[in-house]
Amino acid sequence: MEGFVRALQILFSGDHEILGITLLSLRVSLTATLLGAAFGIPIGFLVARRDFHGKSVVTTTINTLMGLPPVVVGLVVYLFLSASGPLGFLRLLYTPEAMIIAQMILTFPIVCGITISSVLSLSPKLKETLVSLSAPSSWEARVLLNESRLGLITALIAAFGAAISEVGAIMMVGGNLLGYTRALTTAIMLYTNMGEFATAIALGIILLLIAFGVNLFLTYLQMRSRIKRTT
Amino acid sequence: MSLLKDNKIIFVIIVVAVVIIAAGLAIYYVNKPAAPPRLIIATTTSTVDTGLLDYLKPYFDSKFNANMTWLYLGTGQALEVASRGDADVLLVHDRVREDAFVSSGNGTLRTTVMYNDFVIIGPPSDPANARGTNATAAMIRIAQAGASGNATFVSRGDNSGTNALENRLWTKAGVTANGTWYVSTGSGMAPTIRVANEKGGYTISDRGSFYKLRSTMNASLSLVILCENDTSLLNPYGIILLNSTKYPNIKSDLATDFLLFMVSKQGQSLIGNFTVDGQQLFFPLYGNPESIGLPSENATVNYLNSLLKSRGLE
Repeated sequence: MEGFVRALQILFSGDHEILGITLLSLRVSLTATLLGAAFGIPIGFLVARRDFHGKSVVTTTINTLMGLPPVVVGLVVYLFLSASGPLGFLRLLYTPEAMIIAQMILTFPIVCGITISSVLSLSPKLKETLVSLSAPSSWEARVLLNESRLGLITALIAAFGAAISEVGAIMMVGGNLLGYTRALTTAIMLYTNMGEFATAIALGIILLLIAFGVNLFLTYLQMRSRIKRTT
Repeated sequence: MSLLKDNKIIFVIIVVAVVIIAAGLAIYYVNKPAAPPRLIIATTTSTVDTGLLDYLKPYFDSKFNANMTWLYLGTGQALEVASRGDADVLLVHDRVREDAFVSSGNGTLRTTVMYNDFVIIGPPSDPANARGTNATAAMIRIAQAGASGNATFVSRGDNSGTNALENRLWTKAGVTANGTWYVSTGSGMAPTIRVANEKGGYTISDRGSFYKLRSTMNASLSLVILCENDTSLLNPYGIILLNSTKYPNIKSDLATDFLLFMVSKQGQSLIGNFTVDGQQLFFPLYGNPESIGLPSENATVNYLNSLLKSRGLE
């Protein structure tokens, strides 16, 4: 209860620090989701449409990676970006960019996996029609992706949900630096550790509100596209 | 034919995405105002949990036009991260490993800046009857009560400075700490105290972290101090400057500024003035480690004093 009151206070006080933390969370997770989609949708589409050796292995691998543990991703990305790691010269460790890279590794398989299953689940009749029309492949891709847009939006929702709620990876590669790489989830963990539960709960409420807002937008897109389809 | 075309579209999509992102990043960086340089301190959980660094930050930032930040780690992890070149300076509390770190060439200078002490805390009912004994005796009693199922000990188990002290106490007590009575949390000080609180168990904490948690949790923290004021429970904190030849990318000038700030008159008195609920949590110790029975650091102190003088920071 105290947390709710505190949350409202923080929300309306426009606390500079909390605002920064919230904006950073949004920036990192939205960018990671969009980047994950930029690679995940085309690759998922290709995997679904092509027949090649080891297709089931690739699909299974991508589906497995959908459950990639964030801490493992964090540790591996940390070791790569560390000053004594192979990519240390990029000087990216403990920056928001490092957080985006780590989260992108988490969102990519989610988008890719859901794209594969939604393209595969399209009516075979549709594909037959396209083949019988000997449609050019660019046209075919457009039609098929358009028909699976509900699934693609679901992919974005799932990927964003995984990114915004994730703490292990960004803690390790971002370092939870005050005013720079401190995101909502890592701040919640820190305040919980410090025994300041009210602030932690307040940040948790902000996190939920953000997730709700973004999902509201995506669900609106989903609804609209469904109506379009039925008319 | 179709394969080629399909790939083309995807190629175009990827190129467009990359261009948009690159342009965005470029605009972001070009427009970004020059921020004060960021100092990254690898430190132990107690300096963060107590709020000490939050308290010192504005003074340091304004004096040196810097942006002081820290990584919240146990001493073991802090030393590891610093040895990879991922932090600019160390503020930790495990003398044995600090000295090893410097002598292995990772650090160039170490000095004691402050201390507090550890306390053995446990449930007010004190089933192991550890109250008022010395630290070693308390550990033996807790282990005995634990073996007969009447007590639980909650360990950090995270290779931190506190964990190292705990292990030294077990060795001194001649106890092999394992069994169902011995729980290892693998996390920081405050979370470990909270686990001990839930389980009605014993644990060792630095006094600062315990006081701070007590002030935020109030009545919901029932643990009390059972054993204190033992010289084996003293907890000195050291700052280590890293070897800038080995780690050319670290901000070694800013790291030196931080060390000088902490040992300057201003820094030392700020440390001494920091309180939680009216309780002083850290005691300045620069230049005088002998006062609590630690070896003298005269050579280092003389060198730092001359640096302070030349920088006008006394």
